[in-house]
Amino acid sequence: MSAPLPKRIIKETERLQNEPVPGISAEPHEENARYFDVWVDGPDGSCYEGGKFNLELFLPDDYPMCPPRIRFLTRIYHPNIDRLGRICLDVLKNNWSPALQIRTILLSIQALLGAPNPEDPLNEAVAKQWKENQPEAIKTAREWTQLYAQKK
Amino acid sequence: MSDSNSTGHSSLSPPPPGSRRSPSPGGTSVSTQIALRNMRRLEARRNMEENHYLTQKARNCNLNPPVDLRALDYVSKYDDNLVCPICRCPLVDPVLLMDCDHCFCRECIRQTWTTYSPLGPKGDCPTCRMPAKLGPRASTSKILVNILDDLVVKCPKSENGCKSEIKRGEVQDHITIYCGYAMVECKDSGCGQSVRRKDYDLGCLHYNVSCESCQQNMPKAELETHWQLQCPDRQVKCDLCSSLIYYRDREEHRKEACPAVNVPCPGAPLGCTNKSRRAHLDIHVKGCVLAKLGPVLDAQKQRMDEQESAHKLINRKLEILETGFTAMQDILSANRSGPPDNGSTETLIVPSRSRAESTATDSTRIASADDYDFPVPPSNRGSAIEPESPPTTNTTRSSTTPRTTATPRSLTSPPLRPAPQAPFPRPTDLPPPTTTDFDLASPFSTTAPGADGPYSSPLHHLLSMHESLRDEMARVSAALTELDGRHSMQILNENLRTRDEIAYLGGQVAGMGRQVHWLTSAQLQRQTPGGSAAAREVGTGASAGGGGAGGSVEGAVNAMSTAATALRGAARVVNVGGGQGSPTSPGMRRGVSEEGRTKL
Repeated sequence: MSAPLPKRIIKETERLQNEPVPGISAEPHEENARYFDVWVDGPDGSCYEGGKFNLELFLPDDYPMCPPRIRFLTRIYHPNIDRLGRICLDVLKNNWSPALQIRTILLSIQALLGAPNPEDPLNEAVAKQWKENQPEAIKTAREWTQLYAQKK
Repeated sequence: MSDSNSTGHSSLSPPPPGSRRSPSPGGTSVSTQIALRNMRRLEARRNMEENHYLTQKARNCNLNPPVDLRALDYVSKYDDNLVCPICRCPLVDPVLLMDCDHCFCRECIRQTWTTYSPLGPKGDCPTCRMPAKLGPRASTSKILVNILDDLVVKCPKSENGCKSEIKRGEVQDHITIYCGYAMVECKDSGCGQSVRRKDYDLGCLHYNVSCESCQQNMPKAELETHWQLQCPDRQVKCDLCSSLIYYRDREEHRKEACPAVNVPCPGAPLGCTNKSRRAHLDIHVKGCVLAKLGPVLDAQKQRMDEQESAHKLINRKLEILETGFTAMQDILSANRSGPPDNGSTETLIVPSRSRAESTATDSTRIASADDYDFPVPPSNRGSAIEPESPPTTNTTRSSTTPRTTATPRSLTSPPLRPAPQAPFPRPTDLPPPTTTDFDLASPFSTTAPGADGPYSSPLHHLLSMHESLRDEMARVSAALTELDGRHSMQILNENLRTRDEIAYLGGQVAGMGRQVHWLTSAQLQRQTPGGSAAAREVGTGASAGGGGAGGSVEGAVNAMSTAATALRGAARVVNVGGGQGSPTSPGMRRGVSEEGRTKL
């Protein structure tokens, strides 16, 4: 932590605070400016609508050469998000590009909530349910959203 | 700096490769061998020069590290299109990717590609993901470079005090050549330390001085920097609100005053999660219900705490009062269980009358009487009685007490009171005496654990109990005085009769005594020789009176002794009955017996 914060992170943080993305908020921790506390609203029209999902985001030392590490803290019923909150999203892995930013990544995650992809699952059980009985899966996702994703 | 470094290389390094190349074609003849030797000498010298230059440069670099153009503060506004998508700064040494024509800093794209594909300078375009590589002429047109270099920036030494604002393209030169705050070697060559360029002419400044405000020791050369950057008493601008504050106070400023710091809503303890800048907090507070409720709830909580402590105090007082109350009950119950032996109080004291009657009916009667007389105390103050069964305890309790008090009564006659029960409490001295004997009979403790009393507060109940007890006491004392009077009258009457009888007996005894005296004197006269005639007269008189003289005397003496024993018995009876009722009888009796004895 002795190294000064790269200009890019400072600029991104400033921009996230000054021009926040609607439905997304990211606040850096006071002790560690590379650690963000993120809240993402469930996209309208999806089964996560009305939920407020808490995520943690960490910018590694190599950022922006390597992707940020993001994890859901709120429980969520989603075929691409496992029980520990890890997210299966290409731009967070192989398809990371240094031209991406925190805000674009968070938008991608919001989009992932709106469009679950059971063909590339991280949570097999959920993905199976999603494929076999989608209405039931969506109902469960709604229930979970009601149960866990109500911000106090 | 990397630019200047590479240019430095290019100006010096080309000759050696050239020199190396020249000998290779013709290396056989002697002349060429000499030429080769010269060449090598030249090469060695050049190498030495180059090394010297490089060390110089390295020292220079150490003193003033190459400027990082990305860390600069840009004064002029720049178009978003001039920003590198990777480092988010105005492009530094921009390059164009082949095929997609996206533009990045050379260093950024190199880093990206070495991170992702260690194979070489090619990979996907970070923006459009097209396979891309750097062409042979990757550099962008001069016009873009000029635009970027014309951006005005602050001198990187602005923190140290340099106020100059320069074009970005000239920053490096500014630092290495002009900036007064860049470091150069000390004028004193033996010193070996560095000094700011503007202080160069002041001579060696590496002697110790102490800061005027914080008294810290340091070299003179560093004093100014110390004032500007380190002294705790210096003035600094707050990063967030850009107001001038003392460095020493900056933490406090952040915590207390800085209007740009995000602070939680005052209603946060109540659950408001809003965080807003201190300056804008008022706006939020105006609309936040929780923040408005905060002080009210605080006041309420404080009041609750106060009430709780007061409640505790009252509880303690109540406890003390209750223990006092039980003590009073014990005392009073002892007083109350006293009177029942007395038949004369029947009309006055209801419960005691019931107790004075037969032991069989006693128990139930007392229980009912007690229940009637004393409303139950609300709480049983830790006595050993089970609160569930007051009637049973009552009966056992009361059935034992009357028995103890009744037994002496059955042995003696009703009017005569047994001696051990003499100490009756006078109405004047209420509390302590003789209580322990009657503790068992405490009617209060037995009635105590009943249903809830009719009194709302224990204090009221206590007061009413006190009143009723006082009434009871008054009745008891009145009964006692009356009893006392009656008793003394009875004794007086009894004594009068016996005294009369004794007086009558005394008279009789006296008459008999006179008769005896007369008879004995007559016999004595007859026995004397001088008076034989007289004695004869007496004897004749006696015989004439009937019977022998000797026999008659003996009979008289016998009658006397029986009379004396009868008297003795009568005196004893009077003694026992009245005590001091017949003070005359013992003297009389003694007088009679003495008379008899002396006469005999």
